[in-house]
Amino acid sequence: MTEDKMKNLLQEADRMAGLSIPVSVNLSAVVRRRAHRRRFVNLAAPLAAAALVLIAAGIWSLAIRTTETTQEKQKIALLEAQLKQLYVRTDAALNLIQDVLEKDQKQQSLDELEAQLASIPDPLEEIQKQVDKTAFILVYQADRLYRELNRTDSAVETYNRVIELFPKNRWAQVARQRLSEIEEQRKI
Amino acid sequence: MADTIDDEHLVKQFNRGDESAFDRIVERYSSDIAALANRLLGWSGEVEDVTQDIFLAAFLGLKKFRCECSLKTWLFTITVNKCRSYRYRRILHRRRISQAADKAFLISAGETDKTPMDSETFESVRRAIQALPAKYREPVVLRYLQELPTDQISRILGISKNALQVRLNRARAHLKEELAELTKE
Repeated sequence: MTEDKMKNLLQEADRMAGLSIPVSVNLSAVVRRRAHRRRFVNLAAPLAAAALVLIAAGIWSLAIRTTETTQEKQKIALLEAQLKQLYVRTDAALNLIQDVLEKDQKQQSLDELEAQLASIPDPLEEIQKQVDKTAFILVYQADRLYRELNRTDSAVETYNRVIELFPKNRWAQVARQRLSEIEEQRKI
Repeated sequence: MADTIDDEHLVKQFNRGDESAFDRIVERYSSDIAALANRLLGWSGEVEDVTQDIFLAAFLGLKKFRCECSLKTWLFTITVNKCRSYRYRRILHRRRISQAADKAFLISAGETDKTPMDSETFESVRRAIQALPAKYREPVVLRYLQELPTDQISRILGISKNALQVRLNRARAHLKEELAELTKE
């Protein structure tokens, strides 16, 4: 097999697979949302971890103290106040993270629902597609009968069936063309 | 050339914090990227997730892009890498038979004068392409389907031109063997 032949075969298969791949209209928005979420989590997680470490360090430093002078008591009180503040801040940060994640999840569910809604096909259009597809398959089969298996009579019968069943369909027009071709062939 | 300048401008705009530049990049390249991913994944037709992942990687990495190659080449490199990892995680061939029938129908519609490749041949070619190891399939797709020049392909794959030629030769030998039945005169 030559290189050109192989290339042609591959390109033909590629054409057959269909060149246009549908890309989501809101691809850019989805990507941006995902990127922001990732950045937020990447930023918030170390902050929360750092806060927890600080809290742990505070508790530990409190625990190891055995002698408590007045000055130390003041320091402890200050530290406790700071710890409380830190607790409050950590809780607020965690709540914020939770809120953002929940909001994002809701938005995602909403998007998915919208996408599902948008993808529900029009039943009439679907029926028309099925009719079109059936007519195409009949013509395709008749073509094979005529061109590959030389069963002209069966092919003619199938073409007539397409015309009878789907008179207004474009494949009926193709069937008529094929019948006139066969007629011409027979005359020769 | 104008495109390259425009791309550089978009990248600079993005790096200044204007995310609308990213929308234009997606608008410009999403079809090419989706088509390449589809080819690299053996015409599976389901490339939405991988396309999203590719552009997510691009969004997160665009600040590091130094315009040493074209934006398209850079995006193609990401596509090749993402498809490599994605291929092992995905169940391909889902609803293969019905999809092949639908595709045959869609291609045939409106092309009544042409006789398209029959679905059996298409399946054989698809199987042969999918059976190729990634290091051979990628050069084949980029060379014969994307029709990119060899220097761009070697840049995308991160290999020398000689190595590329070797891979193409081996890929051709594989395909020749796999597709021998189809090309018997």
